[in-house]
Amino acid sequence: MTDKTFPFLKFHRQLPREVPVPVRVLNYAEIHGDFVNGDAGDQAARCIDCGNPYCSWGCPLHNRIPQWLKLVRDGRIEDAAALMYETNPLPEICGRICPQDRLCEGDCTLQTGFEAVTIGAIERWATDEALRRGWRPVSTAAPTGRRVAVVGAGPAGLAVADRLARAGVAVEVFDRQDEIGGLLTFGIPPFKLDKAVVRTRRDVLEGLGVRFRLATDVGRDVAFSTLLSDYDAVFVGTGAYRHVDAALPGQALAGVHPALPFLVANAKRILYGTDAGLPNLIGRRVVVLGGGDTAMDCVRTAIRMDAESVTCVYRRDEANMPGSRREVKYARDEGVEFRFNRQPLEILGGADGARAVRVVETRLVADAHGRARPEPVPGSEEEIAADVVILSFGFLASPPDWCTDAGIALDAAGKLVVGAEGRLPLQTSHPKVFAGGDAVRGADLVVRAVYDGREAAKSILRALGLVEAAAAA
Amino acid sequence: MQRNTPALYDAAFEHDSCGFGLIAHVGGRASTWLVDQAFAALCKMSHRGGVNADGVTGDGCGILLHRPEAWLRALAADAGIAPTRRFAAGLVFLDPDPAHAAAACATLERCLQEEGASPCGWRDVPVEDAPCGPLGTASRPRIAQIFVDTGADMEAAAFERALFRARRRAEATLAADSRFYVASLSASNIVYKAMAAPGRLRDVFPDLQRADLAASAATFHQRFSTNTLPNWRLAQPFRLLAHNGEINTIRANRTWTASRATKWKSPLVDFSDLGALVGSDGSDSQSLDNMLEVLLAGGIDLLAAMRILIPPAWSAQETIDEDLEAFYEYYALHTEPWDGPAGLVMCDARYAACSLDRNGLRPARWARSDDDHLIVASEAGLWDVPERRIVAKGRLGPGEMLAVDLVEHRLLDAAAIDAVNRARAPFKRWLREGVTYLDSHLIDPALAAEPFPPEMLARFQKQFALTREERDVVLKALAEDEAEATGSMGDDTPIAVMSRQSRPLYEYFRQAFAQVTNPPIDPLRERLVMSLVTQIGREGNVFELSPENARQVLLNSPILSQRKLRQILALPEYAAHQCKLDLYYDEREGLRAAITRLCAQAEEAVRNGAVVLLLSDRYPVPGLLPVHALLATGAVHAHLLKKQLRSDCNILVETGNMRDAHHCACLIGFGATAVYPYLAYQTLFDMNRRGELKGREGEPPHEIGRSYRRGIRKGLLKILSKMGISSIAGYRGAGLFEIVGLDREVVELCFPGTPSRIGGAGFADIEAEYRAQLAAARDPNYALPPGGLMKAVPDGEYHMYNPAVVGALQAAVRTGDAALYRQYAQAVNARAPSALRDLLALVPANAPIPLDDVEAGAKILKRFDSAGMSLGALSPEAHEALATAMNRLGARSNSGEGGEDPARYGTERMSKIKQVASGRFGVTPAYLVNAEVLQIKIAQGAKPGEGGQLPGHKVNALIARLRYAKPGIGLISPPPHHDIYSIEDLAELIYDLREVNPRALISVKLVAHAGVGTIAAGVVKAGADLITISGHDGGTGASPWSSIRYAGVPWELGLAETHQTLVMNGLRGRVILQTDGGLKTGLDVVKAAILGADSFGFGTAPMVALGCKYLRICHLNSCATGVATQNDILRRKHFLGAPEMAENFFRFVAEDVRGILASLGARTLGEIVGRTELLRPLGGVTVKQGRLDLSPLLARAALADGAFSACVPPVRTTGLAERIAADTERAIAEDKSAHFHYAIRSTDRAIGARTAGEIARRYRDAGLGEAALTLEFTGSAGQSFGAWNAPGMRLVLVGEANDGVGKGMAGGRIVVRPPAEARCATQETAIVGNTCLYGATGGEFFAAGRAGERFGVRNSGALAVIEGVGDHGCEYMTGGTVVVLGRTGLNFGAGMTGGFAYVLDVERDFVDRYNHELVDIHRISLEGMENHLQHLRSLLRSHIDATASAWGARLLADFRDVLHKFWLIKPKAASLEALTEELRRAA
Repeated sequence: MTDKTFPFLKFHRQLPREVPVPVRVLNYAEIHGDFVNGDAGDQAARCIDCGNPYCSWGCPLHNRIPQWLKLVRDGRIEDAAALMYETNPLPEICGRICPQDRLCEGDCTLQTGFEAVTIGAIERWATDEALRRGWRPVSTAAPTGRRVAVVGAGPAGLAVADRLARAGVAVEVFDRQDEIGGLLTFGIPPFKLDKAVVRTRRDVLEGLGVRFRLATDVGRDVAFSTLLSDYDAVFVGTGAYRHVDAALPGQALAGVHPALPFLVANAKRILYGTDAGLPNLIGRRVVVLGGGDTAMDCVRTAIRMDAESVTCVYRRDEANMPGSRREVKYARDEGVEFRFNRQPLEILGGADGARAVRVVETRLVADAHGRARPEPVPGSEEEIAADVVILSFGFLASPPDWCTDAGIALDAAGKLVVGAEGRLPLQTSHPKVFAGGDAVRGADLVVRAVYDGREAAKSILRALGLVEAAAAA
Repeated sequence: MQRNTPALYDAAFEHDSCGFGLIAHVGGRASTWLVDQAFAALCKMSHRGGVNADGVTGDGCGILLHRPEAWLRALAADAGIAPTRRFAAGLVFLDPDPAHAAAACATLERCLQEEGASPCGWRDVPVEDAPCGPLGTASRPRIAQIFVDTGADMEAAAFERALFRARRRAEATLAADSRFYVASLSASNIVYKAMAAPGRLRDVFPDLQRADLAASAATFHQRFSTNTLPNWRLAQPFRLLAHNGEINTIRANRTWTASRATKWKSPLVDFSDLGALVGSDGSDSQSLDNMLEVLLAGGIDLLAAMRILIPPAWSAQETIDEDLEAFYEYYALHTEPWDGPAGLVMCDARYAACSLDRNGLRPARWARSDDDHLIVASEAGLWDVPERRIVAKGRLGPGEMLAVDLVEHRLLDAAAIDAVNRARAPFKRWLREGVTYLDSHLIDPALAAEPFPPEMLARFQKQFALTREERDVVLKALAEDEAEATGSMGDDTPIAVMSRQSRPLYEYFRQAFAQVTNPPIDPLRERLVMSLVTQIGREGNVFELSPENARQVLLNSPILSQRKLRQILALPEYAAHQCKLDLYYDEREGLRAAITRLCAQAEEAVRNGAVVLLLSDRYPVPGLLPVHALLATGAVHAHLLKKQLRSDCNILVETGNMRDAHHCACLIGFGATAVYPYLAYQTLFDMNRRGELKGREGEPPHEIGRSYRRGIRKGLLKILSKMGISSIAGYRGAGLFEIVGLDREVVELCFPGTPSRIGGAGFADIEAEYRAQLAAARDPNYALPPGGLMKAVPDGEYHMYNPAVVGALQAAVRTGDAALYRQYAQAVNARAPSALRDLLALVPANAPIPLDDVEAGAKILKRFDSAGMSLGALSPEAHEALATAMNRLGARSNSGEGGEDPARYGTERMSKIKQVASGRFGVTPAYLVNAEVLQIKIAQGAKPGEGGQLPGHKVNALIARLRYAKPGIGLISPPPHHDIYSIEDLAELIYDLREVNPRALISVKLVAHAGVGTIAAGVVKAGADLITISGHDGGTGASPWSSIRYAGVPWELGLAETHQTLVMNGLRGRVILQTDGGLKTGLDVVKAAILGADSFGFGTAPMVALGCKYLRICHLNSCATGVATQNDILRRKHFLGAPEMAENFFRFVAEDVRGILASLGARTLGEIVGRTELLRPLGGVTVKQGRLDLSPLLARAALADGAFSACVPPVRTTGLAERIAADTERAIAEDKSAHFHYAIRSTDRAIGARTAGEIARRYRDAGLGEAALTLEFTGSAGQSFGAWNAPGMRLVLVGEANDGVGKGMAGGRIVVRPPAEARCATQETAIVGNTCLYGATGGEFFAAGRAGERFGVRNSGALAVIEGVGDHGCEYMTGGTVVVLGRTGLNFGAGMTGGFAYVLDVERDFVDRYNHELVDIHRISLEGMENHLQHLRSLLRSHIDATASAWGARLLADFRDVLHKFWLIKPKAASLEALTEELRRAA
């Protein structure tokens, strides 16, 4: 009958309890608690299991979201985790840091007129819970005797290692840092991704037989040519660490920091207690320039470093921000001030460091590609006081020198070229070398790096003759 | 049409149907009076016949005369021939060429002489051409009459056998002479038949006008065929019988009969040199006639033969006599029923008889006069015997037979015939001793005992390409709910052959379904006529009555459990006579060779005595490839049939790839005796072990195997029922599918005779797919693939309404931005080829012209309709938005089958097309007159052969009001229209609708399948103005998934076939042709026009425009876009559609069409209709696509040859209706009371409907005020008397009426009573026909007599008192009150969810005669039920007042005594208290 209440009408969208702002800014712990008894099931039950699962289509990994939501609803947590894991080698990580509001949840049918299903939170909870209950992915194949080296233990590298190990390939992962994760560990602040999660993932991968060779810088500690000769194939996932240089006057002043080193230094401080190169923000006025997710990480980190004020300056309006809406909300909640439509012109200051950022107001005009282009409004310059300025204008691929030495083709922006005519997907111009993630795409989402890793593994298995072409097609 | 062009029309698709009758004198007295009555009766059935394109030639009629000896002698004498004492005469059709004719005559004479008979002369039969019309004359054979003397010492039966053998041998010898045809050759009967104008048979043959023509019995027949290519030999009667209806199992009957040719031996007659026992061409009726002839010649008498061929539903009758049951069961072991709607009259030397199919789908009314004449015919009122001379009359019930013994001069009723048959042999004892019943066991421990280990299960699942979707949706629902999973929206994936993925072989097979020429059976409410009983064993010789022939094993269904399979294999009689054929082969051997080898192995095994063949893929061999079980089954079955070995063995199939009911139907339809789907069981077992299955109460189920089988059985019954087939024996091996996408080499080897019209994948392609599949199965990373056939999965099958397409369309219509529409159109038109039309590219024939020279968009918009979507499936908001949009565009919207709120009539929210579907929800006179088009929905694309369904949670107060139903109770439309069981019934409904609304166009909606063109030709001849051909991909609010996915074919095929067939038959000019099914852009429209469409239907696209996001949850009522839900919150807050969005969509499409027309150099859309040279086939992007041959679609029907006939309106006999209209005009206009009196005849049809329409036009359903318009009639009313009777109309008929009385009655009163001089007891006498009050919404009905089958079906408000009803009374009733003052048939109250009934149960067996599923019955006690008591008494009084019924008066007089013999029947869902309360309020 018509008075029947459907779960999506009965239950409202409900995220796990959010730690109150005054408490959460005191430390770096994740800001969400877990779903308590039954909540995840109720939330999962809101899914109406569309004939057109817009969420799956919106997900770069094409996760089988409606299917695992149903399993969570039915309390089949391990089965749900197994299904999540089938398309996604790092579900607990994506569940935490994916900008779901721009991907699956943004496309959720219920997003219009209702509120989207809490896909990310359920993914996170279900994988955590399954792992807590002792569920582990298993290898599905006997050892093949083939060996693959992975350079870079970031999301792409971890994904490829996972898929290869399960297919019976011996995988060794090299990383210059002494912990796995790449930006997952050193770039993304712990309040978004607790580092214990990455460590658990390391245990899982090692359980599958993956060997990590950490604190090993390929090119310095071990020659790339050695990898080429010792392994059947090599995957390069070295990321995008080079920041975009806006050539802003005054950017050399003391108190001006590029975003990534700032975040990495903070991560290491939390992990190891070292604070080399980390500015003291206590009582300082911090201005972060840029509107991406990294900028959000910076402002929220700055809040936790007890800055007196934190301002985010972005040249377009809020609607056109590349950063996730959800992150903006959290940042605002935590006390960050946003100044939209402000283009930085210059960092003002002197010998004792930065003093202010001079900005001009902009208005948006549509450019040829339909993207809103900011245009300065004459006579609207102003100064925003700043003791510390963090530059977050984006990142570029940082291909190691040995790439060119090995004859791997790069494009003009320094990205590795993959999958050209006659190549397998994600195969570089060197037939033994495959690549993915930010090294191929430039700075991009973690989930896309995971996708590259997953797909590169398929290509590698095909190249090694471990899967028949017909089956992989 | 050019004969050398491969096209889609095939003569094998033709159907016919008709009117028939029999008159006999029980005492055997020949008279000219009897003959005159027969011809007069034939004349009165002209409305049951068809008329050809020339407007004159009929589809054929004929008469069979029993022993008109004096007349024949006179004819012979006139020709100088003098037959001796015992002689035969025959009518022979010959080649017009004298030399050819002479040769044929000589051959026949020689054969006769060789059989010991003596031909004694020929005479030319004079024929008048004028009554045949141009077409009939052009095709007329030379007609001669032969006289044959009996041989020396030949007794009568031996003479008949000699004639039979001689004729059959002559036919075999002259097989190449297509004109040679013996209409009849017998010492007892002679047949005259012609392609004459209906009713003019006697004018054709001067012989028949002679005064000395006298006979003691005659049968006659008037044909209505779907084709118009005249053929004299297809006229009926045949040599023994005349048939009204259709044999749905004809393919199975023909092939199985052929396979038994060597087995059937009669000591009396040698069949071995006669050629095929049953003809494989010609009509189904002709084959039945052949078959009957064979049985009679072999020594079985007519009473047994007819009951063997067309048995009643004996297995469902709980009260049937055991010996009689054994008679049927014994013969069922060796034959399968000839199944389908059948009213038959027949006559041989001994009997003249009439018989009806088990479902009673054709009417047969009989009457007996005081001088011992009996008439049986399709209608009552065909003879001129005054009522006072009628001593008894009635109707044949389902499966009943009535015979006149012409030798012993007595009348045999059904019971007398049964008594003869049951006594023929000790059948009961033979069966008890011979038959082993493998009854279903309550539990299935064998399954639980031997689960596959997980890794083995995974390997099998991979090898047989099980998908997660199949597991989680298909299998799970079968095991949990014992039913198929339900889905909604259409199938928007590519058909199997177009897919870029590897699709299961079963998906190349599209289920056949009945439409128009025969009805589907209702497997839900009329389950009792259906049977899945399957036998294992070797068939015997039907002519040999012996206990040996009863040694068989019987299963209650063909779906085996492991335990049952093992039991069969271990039975002592089969242990040594079985052969296992492993379905694995070496790639080097090749698939084709492997199948051929299997056939040879099977043949050898059977020749060596194997009775059980087990085809198995259960034991894979590493390195070897599997032969698909369906390929193997089809090939082995066909091979064994060819070798005439198939009836000696049984094919059991043990396979991993059968999952759902469709798979099962494919295997059985291509010859499997029984199937064992081991992987389905194993998978379910594993799911249950993992706790994935839930039982009814949430507990893990225990008997998943049994539940799964029940689910499959239900699905299987549904698939059979769609074809109108009631028993699995008639389905087995019948190949009732259309194959889309398999190459001829595959079809010829494995599925011979099944239509496959555009080629496709060959053995090499199938083999390549296996290889890939096995390779994929070896991939260690391979998990079960997601499937994605039902719901779109990003890495699964392509969906034509994928999120990108939906998003693009919505963006375009919301903004009205043409650039966004172009993006959308690009996303659709540039998709990888998915629909057949994607493989057809436009070829401009002329230089492009400026856009301004193309006709205006408004003209194109007029050609657009929205497809029928009911209010109920859609929310009122969405439904009205669409109607508003279409009206503003000058196009038409379609109400769908759920009625319409009268508040919308006359406003821009009104649907101009009103649908009339089988549920007849809210089909009132006002509904019908507020329409420009009345569409009869025969079938819908998403589920042809099934009725619509609306889940209970979508039936809110509004929906219930409009549909005259109860809130909260689900509504299922019956699979058939209960007033359309054949083509002449459709003609009747069209006639009825025209009567009630003469201004509307009548449209008929069909679904594409091989043969739809021929059906369409029949529909045009039945008088339709518009035909819609829907593709298989049409949408739906709720339907079982297998229906959505496996029935119907793409509209491209159906449309092209229809266009070609209509052109060929000269009928195209009479009708507007529409197509629908997934039309999305202007390009789709242009291609459809080129393939033959004048008009275009859109369903899903405008819904998407209004906000539908293709969520496929319509059946759940939870549509989050507010489109397909009745939930208040969702409708109010979440429906964001506005008419403008749909308007934008249609305007975009129209502009798109204009652009394409300009590029083609065409000024109007009309000028490209049928111009197939504007399309050329493309190669496609996959190997399989490249193998398709679409040239049959593009065969140019010769439009330009002037083949268009003048529009000929169908026969209309409107004299009486017009008189009434003139007489009543003032009374209606002024709402004054008036009284008129008329005489009425059976040719006066739908009387009252025109008046009802006029009233509704003025006063809507309120009708006339207090003042009543009384119309009194005397005589026999034709069909549909009082249809759609309106409030204020009182029809009083003194006499009798035929079928369909008061159908759709909305108010007023109809009274039918016999004339005062009638002699028959009313409670024993038929007074009205079948399906009375079908879909009535109000009014009162009183009839002093009995009604036929399905009285009050879908009644939703009428009050009726009747003195007896046939089977299925009050079926699907949702409201109203019915009182039955006499005997009721079986299955009373099936599907009844509203209203109530009082039934008198004098014989105290009503408990066995009602359907217990939804209703319960109560005694009307004196205490506590006073209201009911009073109510019943008052109804009885009203009945007596209205009809003066003596029976009624007697009951009232004894009311206190008879009260305890009455039952109150009410829906279980309605409480007695509520009912009582309702009565109290009404009182």
